[in-house]
Amino acid sequence: MPPSAPQPPSPHHGQPDAQPGKYLTFTLSGESYGIPVLKVREIIRLCPITPVANMPEHVKGVINLRGKVIPLVDLRAKFCLPISPDTDRNCIVVTQIAAAGGGTRLYGVIVDGVEEVANFTADDIEPTPDFGGTVDSMFITGMAKSGSGVKTLIDLDKISAVDGTIAIQALGIPSHQAS
Amino acid sequence: MSTDRFETISRAGKVLQQIGLELAFVDAVKENGADGINELVRQLAEALGDRAPGPIADAVAAARRWIDQRVAVDNTLSGVTIARLGEWHPWIDAALTSWEHDLPCPPIPEDWSSPQGAPPADTGPEAPPIAAAAPTKVGDPQPAPASQLPEQTVEVLPADADAEMLQIFCAEAQDLLQDIEQGVLVLEVNPTDSPSLDSLFRAFHTFKGNVGVMKLLVLQQLAHELESMLDAARRGKYRLVSASITVILAGADILKRFVAELANQIAGVNTGRTVDLPIPQLIRDVHALLDGAVPSPGAATSPAPKAKTDAAPPAPAPIAPAAPPAVPSSDTVAAIEAGPRQGATVTVVEPQAPASPAPVVAKAPPASPAAAPVIGSGIVRVDTLKLDSLIDLVGELVIAQSMVVQTPELKAITSAHLSRSLGQLRSITSDLQRTAMSLRMVPIRSTFQKMSRLVRDLALQQGKEIVLELEGEETELDRNIVEELNDPLVHMIRNSADHGIEVPAARVAAGKPSAGTITLRAFHQGGFIVIQIEDNGRGLSPAKIRAKAIERGIIRADDNLDERETFDLIFAAGFSTAEKVTDLSGRGVGMDVVRRNIEKMRGKIEIDSVEGRGTTFTLYVPLTLAIIEGLLVGVGDQRYVIPTLSVRESFRPLPGMVTQVQGRGEVVSVRGRLTPILRLGRHLNTPHTATDPVEGIIVVVEAGQDSRCLLVDQLIGKQEVVIKNLGDMFRHQTEFAGAAILGDGRVGLILDINALVKLKSRSNGEAA
Repeated sequence: MPPSAPQPPSPHHGQPDAQPGKYLTFTLSGESYGIPVLKVREIIRLCPITPVANMPEHVKGVINLRGKVIPLVDLRAKFCLPISPDTDRNCIVVTQIAAAGGGTRLYGVIVDGVEEVANFTADDIEPTPDFGGTVDSMFITGMAKSGSGVKTLIDLDKISAVDGTIAIQALGIPSHQAS
Repeated sequence: MSTDRFETISRAGKVLQQIGLELAFVDAVKENGADGINELVRQLAEALGDRAPGPIADAVAAARRWIDQRVAVDNTLSGVTIARLGEWHPWIDAALTSWEHDLPCPPIPEDWSSPQGAPPADTGPEAPPIAAAAPTKVGDPQPAPASQLPEQTVEVLPADADAEMLQIFCAEAQDLLQDIEQGVLVLEVNPTDSPSLDSLFRAFHTFKGNVGVMKLLVLQQLAHELESMLDAARRGKYRLVSASITVILAGADILKRFVAELANQIAGVNTGRTVDLPIPQLIRDVHALLDGAVPSPGAATSPAPKAKTDAAPPAPAPIAPAAPPAVPSSDTVAAIEAGPRQGATVTVVEPQAPASPAPVVAKAPPASPAAAPVIGSGIVRVDTLKLDSLIDLVGELVIAQSMVVQTPELKAITSAHLSRSLGQLRSITSDLQRTAMSLRMVPIRSTFQKMSRLVRDLALQQGKEIVLELEGEETELDRNIVEELNDPLVHMIRNSADHGIEVPAARVAAGKPSAGTITLRAFHQGGFIVIQIEDNGRGLSPAKIRAKAIERGIIRADDNLDERETFDLIFAAGFSTAEKVTDLSGRGVGMDVVRRNIEKMRGKIEIDSVEGRGTTFTLYVPLTLAIIEGLLVGVGDQRYVIPTLSVRESFRPLPGMVTQVQGRGEVVSVRGRLTPILRLGRHLNTPHTATDPVEGIIVVVEAGQDSRCLLVDQLIGKQEVVIKNLGDMFRHQTEFAGAAILGDGRVGLILDINALVKLKSRSNGEAA
C-alpha cells in the first residue's frame, strides 16, 4: 500500500496505486470491495454500539473491542449507498489505519458481509477508470478482476481523512459510468 | 584620630557583612568560587590599612593566606577553607567590635597565625559538608605527605538521607555507570569519537547533578573534574590519551564502588561504614593531565581499587582505636552514623563504629566492589507505555471478571463452591487492579521540595522572610498529575510570596511575626487529592478585587457578587491585583492559566481568604488521570458518565419548580438561584427520553463559577471508570470528554461538563 500522499493521485491513467497482494474482499450493498489484508486486524460480529451524538451519519458510534474504545464507521453511509437491515452476515472489520494526528488507530468498519481473502497479481489489478466528475475516486486505488466480477480496491486511510460523505454510487451502478 | 578609627571600622564592617553574605552562599565545588571572597578579603585588608591592631591584621593575613593557597590549586574553595572562614568571620566581627569600644581583642586562635595552620594544600578539594569540618580539628598540625596522597574516607549514607530517593539514585547511577563504561570502551579505540564523548560527558554531568542533590559533595567534586576533562575533550581543547582513559575508568570505578556500597547500606548491610576512596589522587591526576603533563606512571593506575593495600599511611590513624579524635588527617570526613538522626553533628570515627579497623581496611578489600548484590527491594525501571498497557489490561480483566460473575446462567447455579471461587476471583482482581494502579503512583515529595528552593529565592529577591512548611509530602498520586501540578504550584507559590506575604516591616506593623509562612500540604479527601497552599499574608481584599474587576471590565459596577464569586474573579483572564508588576508574577496572566491547567486534569480550585489574615488556595485533583469517579445517568436508552467532581447535587423537581423563560429556555430554582436547565436527551438527540421534567432527575453540575442543571431520566449509580480517549475521529465534537467501558462491557460516554456549562453563555445568554 503506498503511503497516502497529501495530493490526490491521478488514478485515471498509468499504473494503479494498488499493490499486488492479498486483499480482504467484502460486500457493501451488493457490490464487492477489497482492502489490503495487512490493514485488517480482525473481523468481529456486530456488537452493542454506543452512538455518539451530533456526529455525521456514517459515524455509527463507538464499540468496546476488548477494553479499547474504537470508532465504528458505516461505509455504506459514507458512500451514500442504500443501507439494508442488519442480518447475521453483517460484521465489523477492524482495520488499522493512519490517524489524522499521525500514528495508526483502530477503526471498525461495518460491512454487509465478508467474502474471502483473495490474492491479486499485478495483472489482475487495473487502474481506476475515469468515472467522470460526479464520482470522487481519489480513495480508489484500483479495480481488481476476480473471476467473473470486479472488486473495487479502496484506501481506507484516505477515506478517514475525508469528513463528509463520498459519492460512490456510480460505482455500484455500472450504467452510470461515464464512457 | 578617633573619627578616623570609626570610619575604618565602619568601612571594614561593611566589607565584612558582604563577606558574610558571600560565605553563606559559597559553593564548595563551584568553579571560581574563591574569586568573590578573595576580592572581599583584599578589600577588607585595604579598609583596615595599617591601623588595625595586631591580632586583627594577623587574622586577615591568615584568611588571605588560606584563600591564596586554595586559589593557587584550582581556584575553588574547599569545604575546610569555607568552614575556617565561617569561623573566622564572627571572630573578626567580634574583634572589630572590641576595637570600636577600645576593648582588648579576643585572642586569635593559635592555629590561624602559624603558616602550618593552613589547610594542607595537597589534600585536593575534598569538600566535605561544611558543617562536618570540625572546627578545632582542621588545623591539623601534621601536613599530609605530599608525595603519597591519602585515600579519602567518605561517609556513605548522608545523615539526613531519604532512603527512597537514595534507592532511585542508586538505580540511576548504575545505569549511568554502565553508559560510562560503554563509552570509555569506544573511546579507547577511537579517542575522538564525538558521540561517545558527548554521551560520556552527559553521563558524568547527570551523575554530578544527582550526587549534588544527594549532597554527596565529595563525589560531586570527582564527577565534576572528570566532566570538565571530557568537556575539554569534547570541545577539542584536549586530546584524550590512554592515561586519561585510565583516569576516567578509575574515576568510574570509584563511583561504582561508592554506589555499590551505598546500595548495600541502604539494604542494611554494614550500615554506617565509611569507605576509603582515592579521590584526591584521582583529581590530581585529572589536573595533571589537563595541564599537559603525563602523570607519573604509577599515579594514574595505582589509585584504582587495588591500590587500597598500599595507600594512605595517614589513614590508619583516624581509625585506629587508640588514636585520639584530633588526629584524623584534615581531609578525613568523619563518619556519621547512618541510622540515628544526628543531623549535622560530626562524630569522628569511633572505635565502636562499624568501620573496619585500619588493618582490615588495608588488607582485605571490603566486600563492597561493584558486583555486590543488592539485597531487599530494588528498583526496576519500566517503560511507561508498558505500564499503561498493563493497567489497561488489568482494567479489562476487572470488567471481564464482573461480566462473568453477572452472567445469568452462572447466577442460576447454586453452588457454594462456585460462589466461593467467584468471590476469590473478585478479590484477586481488585487487588491486582489496586497494585497495578499503584505502579504509577509517586509521592508528591519531589515537587514539594522544589518549592522550598523557589520560596527561598523569592524571599531573598524581595527582601521578605518566608518560611515554607510542607505537610503530607508522602501523599502519592499519579505520575502524570504530579508533572501537571508543577506549573500551577510554582505559579501559586509565587503569587503567595509575591502578593500574599508582606514585607517584614508591614507584617510587624500588623502585629504578625515578621516571617511569613506558606504552608503546602497534600492529603486525601473523598477519592481526591487535596493540595492546599496557605499563606498568612495580607489576604485578598474583596473591595480591591471588585474595583479592579470593574476597571478591567470583567464585571459591571452594578453586579452583585458574594464573597466567593468575588474571589473567583482573580481567575478571570487579564486580572491582576498586584500594584506593581514584578518579574515574578503580576503580569496579568497566571491565575486563569492555573485554573485552566487544573481543570484540564479534571480538578478544581477554590479560594478561601480573610483580609489581613491570609489566603488558602485549595486544589482538588483526581488521584490519577486514568480513572475518574463517575455518576452514571440514564438518558433514554443511553447511559452517560458525569464526573462526580462536577456534580453539586441532584434532585427530582417538584411540579412548579421549573419555569419557562420566554425565548430563553427553562430555569429551575436551586437554593434560591435560578439555574438554566439543559435537557440532555434533547441536546444529545437521544430517543425515548422523558419530556416532563417532573419525571426526570435534575443533576446540578458546575464548572468554574457557572452551574447548570442537566435533566436526565434516572441516576444509575456511582462507578469508577477508566477514561479512554475517543480518538481523532471525534476531535471536533465538544459534548464528550472521553469514553469508558461500563460494567456490562458496553461503552459509556463521559460528558464534558465544562463544555456543557459554557454552552449556556452561547445559547441563553444571561439567564443566570
